[in-house]
Amino acid sequence: MASKPVLTPKLIVRTLLFGAIVIALAVLPALIDSYTLRIATGALMWAGLACAWNIVGGYAGYISFGHSAFFGIGAYTTAILMQSNIGASFFVTLLPAILLSIAVAVVIGGPTMRLRGAYFAIATWAFAEMLMQLVTVLDFTGGTAGLSLPAYLNEFFFYYIMLIASAASFIGVWLLIERSRFGFRIKALRDDEPAAESLGIRTNLVKVQSFALSAAITALFGSIYAYWTTYIDPHSVMGPEITDQMVVMVLLGGLGTVWGPALGAVLLWITNRYIWSTFGDTVIYLPVLGIIIALVVLFLPNGLISLIVGRQRGKELISRILGKL
Amino acid sequence: MNHKFSRRKFLRNSLLGTGAMTLGFPALNVNAQEHNIRVGVVTSLSGANRFGGNLTRRGYDLWAEEINKLGGIEIEGKRYPVEMFYGDAQSRPASGADAAERLIIQDEVDVLFGPYTSGVTLAVQPISQKYRVPMISGSAESPNVWLAKPAFNFGMIPAVDLTTDKSMVVLAENLGDRATTASVIGVDEPFSKETAEGFRKGVEESGLELLSYELFPAGSDLSAIISKLKSSNPDIVAVGGHEDIFINFVSTAKALNYKPKALIMHYGVTSAAFIKETGTESNGILGVSVWTEGLPYKDELFGTASDYSELSFSRWGTRPDYTEAACSASGLVLQDAARRLGKAPPWDQGTRAELAKAIEDTDIETFYGPVGFAKEGSHYHNNTKPVPAVVQIKSGDIVPVAPENASKGELVYPIPGTS
Amino acid sequence: MDLFLQTLVNGILIGGILICLTIGFQLTFGVLHVIDFAVGGWTMLGGYTAYWLVTLAGIDPFISIFLVFALFLLIGRGLGPLIYHVRTSRYARPDLMALAFTFGIFLFMRGGALWLWSYNSRSVDSVLSGQFLSLGPVTIPLMRLSAFILAMMFSLGLFILLYRSRFGMAVRALAQNHDHAGLMGVDVKRVSAWVYGIYTALTASAGVLIATIYSVNPSVGIRYTLFAFFVAVLAGLGSVGGVLVAGLALGLLEAYVATYIGARYSLLIVFGTLYLVLLVAPKGVLGRGI
Repeated sequence: MASKPVLTPKLIVRTLLFGAIVIALAVLPALIDSYTLRIATGALMWAGLACAWNIVGGYAGYISFGHSAFFGIGAYTTAILMQSNIGASFFVTLLPAILLSIAVAVVIGGPTMRLRGAYFAIATWAFAEMLMQLVTVLDFTGGTAGLSLPAYLNEFFFYYIMLIASAASFIGVWLLIERSRFGFRIKALRDDEPAAESLGIRTNLVKVQSFALSAAITALFGSIYAYWTTYIDPHSVMGPEITDQMVVMVLLGGLGTVWGPALGAVLLWITNRYIWSTFGDTVIYLPVLGIIIALVVLFLPNGLISLIVGRQRGKELISRILGKL
Repeated sequence: MNHKFSRRKFLRNSLLGTGAMTLGFPALNVNAQEHNIRVGVVTSLSGANRFGGNLTRRGYDLWAEEINKLGGIEIEGKRYPVEMFYGDAQSRPASGADAAERLIIQDEVDVLFGPYTSGVTLAVQPISQKYRVPMISGSAESPNVWLAKPAFNFGMIPAVDLTTDKSMVVLAENLGDRATTASVIGVDEPFSKETAEGFRKGVEESGLELLSYELFPAGSDLSAIISKLKSSNPDIVAVGGHEDIFINFVSTAKALNYKPKALIMHYGVTSAAFIKETGTESNGILGVSVWTEGLPYKDELFGTASDYSELSFSRWGTRPDYTEAACSASGLVLQDAARRLGKAPPWDQGTRAELAKAIEDTDIETFYGPVGFAKEGSHYHNNTKPVPAVVQIKSGDIVPVAPENASKGELVYPIPGTS
Repeated sequence: MDLFLQTLVNGILIGGILICLTIGFQLTFGVLHVIDFAVGGWTMLGGYTAYWLVTLAGIDPFISIFLVFALFLLIGRGLGPLIYHVRTSRYARPDLMALAFTFGIFLFMRGGALWLWSYNSRSVDSVLSGQFLSLGPVTIPLMRLSAFILAMMFSLGLFILLYRSRFGMAVRALAQNHDHAGLMGVDVKRVSAWVYGIYTALTASAGVLIATIYSVNPSVGIRYTLFAFFVAVLAGLGSVGGVLVAGLALGLLEAYVATYIGARYSLLIVFGTLYLVLLVAPKGVLGRGI
């Protein structure tokens, strides 16, 4: 594996493709109205969140139901620091938000990641619910009344910052997981934890590292989101719906692949907003969305990514990546 | 996108056309589509606050239907039909913001109605400000909404901190020596918590002894709270919450053999659904309402408060509560401001800013009561004129019992059969 | 002291509701290894069915609960093969895809209920609604007592089914190993579908009583899903006996915290305790069962 050439033709094609997508996204705002831009901004955010969740859920094989906690930590750190009594500027708040989320991830990651499967999933959910209740009863978080942030109403700013954050997340994850030793460790851990340990991989360290990385990216998006929507409350940034959406997007897109989560997030979000706006005066879009999710699972079980790389190849690809889980 | 809108517009206009022809205004519709006033409604049709959200929609729709029967809003002697557009805020602030932006950009609405709940309102305010679209909130009762001094947002219902404490004081005065103690409970969520705090303030102001003040998370089981109330048995129990909690409170209390001597709640008690779901158990329950059908208010479009109630009943099958009434009255405010503005739609940004100014200067009488918005202070742009009345449910009817000038019946205390 | 005893009763009865909610879920997890997101959805639909039966036909929930059981047994039996298909396919992570599938189903139920039956909360009336039993200083609401009795009957019935019948033996074989059970001549697909059916029937029947105790609206489901997950995982996934212990423990915890510390902190402490217990006892209080 180490002898793999650094630049293969496949890699060049991929880099060019990625570059083309980034350029297309960079000029997009000039072509669309500000509402569509808002939806695009949301799509970028969800793509980044799905990418973050995929590190723990897809690569390390630990299904977290508690990522809304990190999203909320990011959102609340930014919101609290930007209140008029402190008055920090937005960019200044990003670092504390990320550091705090890493700290929390390290503290809870160690003990929680001793749990397996559904136990881990539900323990993280319990943690997130607990944190949401805590934010609700505290005073400096504004309690249930939430917090308003200074409104900065520049839709281009938020689009580009989401684009930068999202692209950076994907490139970072791709470099770290597909192109570095860390990636081999994390996948070895997922495929067979005792075997990985016997090979001398410090599994606990790798688990906590991946959890912290995932948490940091999630918190970054939480921070941007808070500034973007200008108002947050415990439910809107810590509610289980945030995590549910991340999980479903990754599963629909293609678990444990680099681009699957992006695809799942963008398609699901756009479908969601499209049917929501088309049937805006009734709620029939909700059951329709449910049926779409169920049908995708039934007919595209390897995720939407398998539509692009081919159904058979997608299946092979994913089973190869994921081993025999 | 264009295709969709033109089809929708077509359908809407054919409906309008049919309606107007039967009413004898055939000439009106020829150019109607160029001169509609486009109203966007952002409200929670789904999610945790769907109950109130749907009530607001009924109120807005009823006004739109009534004004369109006349051919629309009259400006400089010409009538412009109203066209409604909807965005479901899903009880989530971010969805509300998405909805507002969509209505403004894609549906090109001239004015916004809604949203329901303070969280969504706070997230939508900056957007209405950015595009200079006036927003009339038929139901936003949290005082937080007005603290930010929103230039383009106007609220029809006085914030809860103006209504709950007053009504508690009025109730305590009315009961005199008969009541000396009170307990306040409330759901730990924005509106309900503020309601509970208002009640607590009222208890302190009126010199009652506060036995307990307790908040609880939405969705928790009430048996513990009710057992505690039962063991201390205060004279007045006040509850801050929404209709779900009230229904659960009433049924859980009954099952635990507890009936407070006086039970006062705020939002939702006066809604038909609450009375229907709790049946005879609702008898004697007190509520706070800024409007009931018995009040002596009237206007040209809806007639008297009781005419409005009849109309709403024949349209929706249930009696309106104050939320629906305030939402219908939002339309009257728009009508009046547009008339005073005197400019034909469509309105550009500058005209919309003038419209906002005109709304700010509103001073009208409606079936819902007097409407005028505060121009300064902590309730900026909130209609602080309506006076809250204490109402009591008697055999399914909502009867104002205090203060004296609004009273239509005797305050029953204690409720028969209480602990 | 009176309040202490009343709180004890309140806690036990909340525990009964939690057990009702979780017992069926525990079965599908133990046997099919499916984390069914729709558990709250089945509860809600059970409640609505009871509402319509009492409103339109005047059938008391204590009778309609049998109809609901039968109806949802068939619905679950019908949906079972789909769940089985997703769960046993050779896809990358079938357990997760089953989760995503049930998430879609849950969204469909919740949205469909909102669309069809509109937004307001419905009370389900029964002969026992508002009735109570006074035992000295303690009041026992009869509806909640019924839920507790139902929880005990469910648990007992499940034990008898699992350990005293041929079907139960097949189910247990399946719970241990699908392939081996198949080799031993168990019709894995059919048994799985029936297990799913029993789960939906149990959960929807629990929903009838839960709707009668509280009320039912389209959004109640997510809360029940949360609690079913929590009780199940605290019990030790797949352990039927553990559900009794975990349900009662959580019920008592909630009641005592709400009474003596403050209702505001009840969920904070319940979720916090759950998280800490999981860290200490990662396989739940009684470990794995079935």
